[in-house]
Amino acid sequence: MHGRVKVRTTEEERERKKKEQALKMKAYRAAMTKIQKKRAGGELDDEMLGLTTQILLRNPDVSTLWNIRRECVLEKIRKITEEEEKQQENSVKPEDEPKKDEAEEEPKEVVDSPQKLPVEDQLQSILNHELQLTEQCLMVNPKSYNAWHHRCWSLEQNPLADWQRELQLCNKYLKYDERNFHTWDYRRYVTGKAQVPNKQELDFCTEKIKVNFSNYSSWHHRSLLLPQLYPNEQQDRPMSEEKLREELEMVLTAAFTDPNDSSAWFYQRWLLGQGFHGDKDAFTVVAFRLDPHGKAVIGLDKPFPAFNAKVQLVGKDSSVDISSWLPVNRDKSIWKSTETITIEAQESYELKLPNQQIKLSALPLNRGYFYFKPPNSLSSSCSQDLKAELETQLQSCLDLLDYEPDSKWTLLTSSLLMRAIDPSSHHAKSLEHLQKLQKVDPLRKGYYKDLAARWTLEYELNKWPQSEKFPLQFELDKQSEALTSLPYGQYLIIADELGLPEKLRNLAQTFNELKL
Amino acid sequence: MDFTTFVKPSNGDSMATAEATDGNDAKKLQFWKHVEYIENHGKQEDDYEYCMTEFLRMSGIYWGVTALDIMGQLDRLERKYVLEFVKRCQCPVTGGFAPCEGHDAHLLYTLSAIQILCTYDALDEIDTDAVVRFVVGLQQPDGSFFGDKWGEVDTRFSFCAVATLTLLKRLEASIDVEKAVKFVMSCCNQTDGGFGSKPGAESHAGLIYCCVGFLSLTQRLHLLDVDKLGWWLCERQLPAGGLNGRPEKLPDVCYSWWVLSSLTIMGRLHWISSEKLQEFILSCQDLETGGFSDRTGNMPDIFHTLFGIGGLSLLGHGGLKPINPTLCMPQYIIDRLDIHPQKLERP
Repeated sequence: MHGRVKVRTTEEERERKKKEQALKMKAYRAAMTKIQKKRAGGELDDEMLGLTTQILLRNPDVSTLWNIRRECVLEKIRKITEEEEKQQENSVKPEDEPKKDEAEEEPKEVVDSPQKLPVEDQLQSILNHELQLTEQCLMVNPKSYNAWHHRCWSLEQNPLADWQRELQLCNKYLKYDERNFHTWDYRRYVTGKAQVPNKQELDFCTEKIKVNFSNYSSWHHRSLLLPQLYPNEQQDRPMSEEKLREELEMVLTAAFTDPNDSSAWFYQRWLLGQGFHGDKDAFTVVAFRLDPHGKAVIGLDKPFPAFNAKVQLVGKDSSVDISSWLPVNRDKSIWKSTETITIEAQESYELKLPNQQIKLSALPLNRGYFYFKPPNSLSSSCSQDLKAELETQLQSCLDLLDYEPDSKWTLLTSSLLMRAIDPSSHHAKSLEHLQKLQKVDPLRKGYYKDLAARWTLEYELNKWPQSEKFPLQFELDKQSEALTSLPYGQYLIIADELGLPEKLRNLAQTFNELKL
Repeated sequence: MDFTTFVKPSNGDSMATAEATDGNDAKKLQFWKHVEYIENHGKQEDDYEYCMTEFLRMSGIYWGVTALDIMGQLDRLERKYVLEFVKRCQCPVTGGFAPCEGHDAHLLYTLSAIQILCTYDALDEIDTDAVVRFVVGLQQPDGSFFGDKWGEVDTRFSFCAVATLTLLKRLEASIDVEKAVKFVMSCCNQTDGGFGSKPGAESHAGLIYCCVGFLSLTQRLHLLDVDKLGWWLCERQLPAGGLNGRPEKLPDVCYSWWVLSSLTIMGRLHWISSEKLQEFILSCQDLETGGFSDRTGNMPDIFHTLFGIGGLSLLGHGGLKPINPTLCMPQYIIDRLDIHPQKLERP
């Protein structure tokens, strides 16, 4: 029960309400008893439909009553089809005498159906009646799962369902409440049935957003259509660059109209996002080390509890399978081999996985081999045009921040824009914004702290390969004292030494600490 | 059938104790008033509401039983009567549970019934094979689940199915888990990492709880984009401390539970302010009658009472037993069943 304000009432009013409720309850109980009795007796007739209507109009959530109506509808359909078959039989053999008697009795059997209507019309009449009822119920409770489902069910029974009419109904309901997710779900169902072109739906969305920018439901609907209409071949962005630029422009206008409304900002963050991972159930090897004694450890870009890939270590003229792995950490992003691999000192090895082929590098002083790929290697891949658009947007945000230095969404978005343009040159500035966000948006302090740790580690890990100490030593500089968490620990497994602030030190393990 | 028939007559009047210990302080948990509210559920003025909500009675009992157990007051109910009621609701034909007698079996009430039976350690008193058959029979070729034979598909039902089978320890070798996972993941939105009720549906905190809970039970939390979804979830917290279910909506005690439990499962509870959320939940107590409402100043009900108490338990409020975020049941029962829903570590 939602949104019922507790109001003070007079004794008199309470009494009146109590009496009214007692009557309603009595009526409800009487109807339910009768319904159950009739159901037990298999009486799926018009009276039954009437009884259930009476209750459902007040309380459309009584799912059993919708079940009973469906039983009634199916029974009626069965009867009229049976009737039709019989009539066809009769018309084939009009001379058949005994059939006549049966024909005379027929009206009694079909007393429930509108008489003399063709079968098709009878069917439409039965199903339309259900549509009318669900519409009335949805007026009472536009979020009734049961009423929406019954509507879908009734339409599914009808080969001649009028999907255009249903589309109009969606338009009407979305005018009453543009955030009702039931209506949006129903709209997606109906547009599929009516084969409405995606382009037309996108136009509908644009109209809705123009009327009110603060419409997350509409932005969501849009996010489903765009990747289909304007696919991005490399799959590294949600849609083609050209369309992306247009969308970025549109969403920033929306966001600036009311910077405190979150809907558009969420959409914008999605547009700025880099990864568009097609397969969520795939992993990438990001770190690997093999010591001279044949012990190996592997780091995956994300937790992968079912890691059992066949890993093939390919040398110049030999190849070994490493097939038995054990997880090292709790989230299972680090795995160690359980067998000892026989290796020979040679210039290089390759690591072959079902979806990846990796060239290993030799460690100095014959200390084995390793592989390393930093997280989110953000070598900006966007075109000049897109980059120019991002720069313009960043400038707009920074201008707005001059006037409203504490604007949460502008602070966050500008740092996301900076990172989309070039994370390393904007690194310090984007962290500054996160610092500020902890103050202006204290509820989510913990989130901004973790985000700062991520960005810092991404920055440091991307810098690491250029360091003289790579790969045996990893160090975080003094500024990282403020970090409260240490993400990306699986990238550090190739190191022998970790120079980390005291409180973070036990959050990561060196190669030796993994105790292979 | 009346909830009060479950309440032991010997409990006496807890109101007197309530006044003495808690006073009318809105900032403190009105412990005994809530106990009394649940006991009184279905008495006097509430009768009309009670009668009109019989279509979800089994869940109502689960909410009441669980809230009382979290408060350490389960023995205020007559175990025998509760179990007799639950048993009467198992459909001899389908094996599923109806919300109450005279209504049809459905996955929603089947899970509630199994949760009650687990709380009372009474699974051996029903035909569990029949329950498994009911759940298995509702899985569709695409991995989704119908709620009952009438064909409604929703990720809520995917959660109900795996939660029921997990509690019965029959998740393995019953349904096609891989396909079930595939369907749930097809409902994941790339914009915000959240989930809706079906493929393409807008993300919604209640359904996110169902899907995150589903992945926790099937040990597949690695499929989540934790950073993206965690951010969207922590953005549900509003200045007053309460959480809403979708952007630009009002805060609500039940959404507070859906978001809070999801963040807890994902190891990201520290992304919101626990203090402010606790303040909000406590502000939704009804100081006169006990019970929690959806928002400050509204009418309390049994549903929000469980999620208020459950939320406070997850936040570590004193005097309450720990609750399991995935199954929304006291942790000691989950331990007794030797069940281990997956939970991610704080980074």
